Amino acid sequence: MKKILLWLLWIPFLLSPGLIQAQEDPARYLDALQKKYSGLKDYTVDVNVHFDIEGFKAPDMQAKLYCKPPDKMKIESKRIFFLPKEGGTFNPSMFRREDFDVKFLDRLTYEGGNAVKLKLTPKKKKRNGQDFILTVDTDRNLIREMNVSSFEGKEVKALMKYSQFSDFDLPTRIELHLDVPFYESMEIRDFGQSAQPARRVTGRVEITYSNYRVNVGLSDEIFDETTPSKWRKGSSGGR
Amino acid sequence: MKLFWLEIYKTFSRWRTYIGFGFIALIVILTEVVMKLSAGEIVNRMMRSPQKDFLIFGNVLNGWFVTAFIMNSLHFHIPFLIALVAGDMVSGEATSGTVRFLLIRPPSRYRIITAKYVATLFYTTGLVIFLGVVCILPGLALFGSGDLIAHHYGKFGIVFIPEAEIPIRMLFAFLAAIWSMTTVASIAFLLSTLVENSIGPIIGTMAVVVVFLVIGNFPFDFFWSLKPYLFTTYMVFWQRFLDDPIPWQEIVRSATILGLHSFGLFFIAFGAYARKDIKS
Repeated sequence: MKKILLWLLWIPFLLSPGLIQAQEDPARYLDALQKKYSGLKDYTVDVNVHFDIEGFKAPDMQAKLYCKPPDKMKIESKRIFFLPKEGGTFNPSMFRREDFDVKFLDRLTYEGGNAVKLKLTPKKKKRNGQDFILTVDTDRNLIREMNVSSFEGKEVKALMKYSQFSDFDLPTRIELHLDVPFYESMEIRDFGQSAQPARRVTGRVEITYSNYRVNVGLSDEIFDETTPSKWRKGSSGGR
Repeated sequence: MKLFWLEIYKTFSRWRTYIGFGFIALIVILTEVVMKLSAGEIVNRMMRSPQKDFLIFGNVLNGWFVTAFIMNSLHFHIPFLIALVAGDMVSGEATSGTVRFLLIRPPSRYRIITAKYVATLFYTTGLVIFLGVVCILPGLALFGSGDLIAHHYGKFGIVFIPEAEIPIRMLFAFLAAIWSMTTVASIAFLLSTLVENSIGPIIGTMAVVVVFLVIGNFPFDFFWSLKPYLFTTYMVFWQRFLDDPIPWQEIVRSATILGLHSFGLFFIAFGAYARKDIKS
């Protein structure tokens, strides 16, 4: 009898990590991210994009990016500039608790530090059918990896490296791995395309950021008509 | 040389010679004005595929983009304008009743047919250069300059050509277009030596071009296997100058095949004209 009682006493201790994990609010990691960057009013940075994508023959592209969280962005480039839609820019206001259903997936070690893996499903942007899986460094409150998958079969993985600028950890390098489906248009070659499976286009995009200038007091006027709709509240898609 | 200038004079004395120039000026300028008015819609349509995955900034719809767009759209129509004049070069003499008068003069038949052929090539070259000038100058004035995004509509694939490289690539592209159109002109010229009215060569040339294009684009294995034997397959080799890297081997091959076609067609026309019976 004593043995049974002893075992019964042990059960709560055995189950507690799982219970704690199940009960903890995973959205608090998003709150921590928001809090970390709450002092970041704006920044400007030089961006260099290197493409290594099958069928995409472009030299490195350079531009100056102006950002004013939560929803203002401007790209200044003398030449044509392509920036990946998913994971191509760093916006600390991108993952707000109120915009996502957050699910805890895993606790792990990332480059020697503690990290968690979260699954984010947009509450409003169901139209895009995009899910995000974030690997958040809980020691420094940084997004280290982001996996974006859409119902169309698009898979984007972003790996981020940071450095500190004016007390803020800001990305110096984002490496994107793309694996996206592409349907050849029926107008181009024949009339049996709808039966054909999509071809997948794979590749890598390397975005490096340099010359950060943080909290320089950017005025709203410089962003007029240049913010991609993706960054505007309640909408999605490209420019 | 005197014969050549005489043929040029005769060619440019006919009103039909100017139909091609007028058509090109009208269509190109109209297209550019419409593109200017609906720039956003056109960029969205042309860049639909890359816009799914990228935010695109900068002057994509610039004069070079418009030029490439118009060239892509018009390269099926230019052969008709060339056939309109080339198909009349020799048969026109029969229609107007001057063939006997021409052939009893001292210059040999060989010199006459060569002069007519060179005049045909002169017209062809002039028409394509005119297309280039009408595309590029108003294009740059209306849309400005910039890098060229060469995107094959409906396919994933983008070639980004820096602005500094575009003029020389465009020059080569237009030279290639002239070379391609020379083959069309040679077909019309050959047909023109075989008949005594101008309508036949014009319609005949267009029939050949259209049938070959249709056969080359049918999605059946049998027709695909015929594609390498159709000269129309190589007619778009000017597009390769807007590729990266420029596939020189493919360009040389296409240019050689088209050149052999032109030479062969002229050679046959040469023989046919030499044997032409003007007594009946």
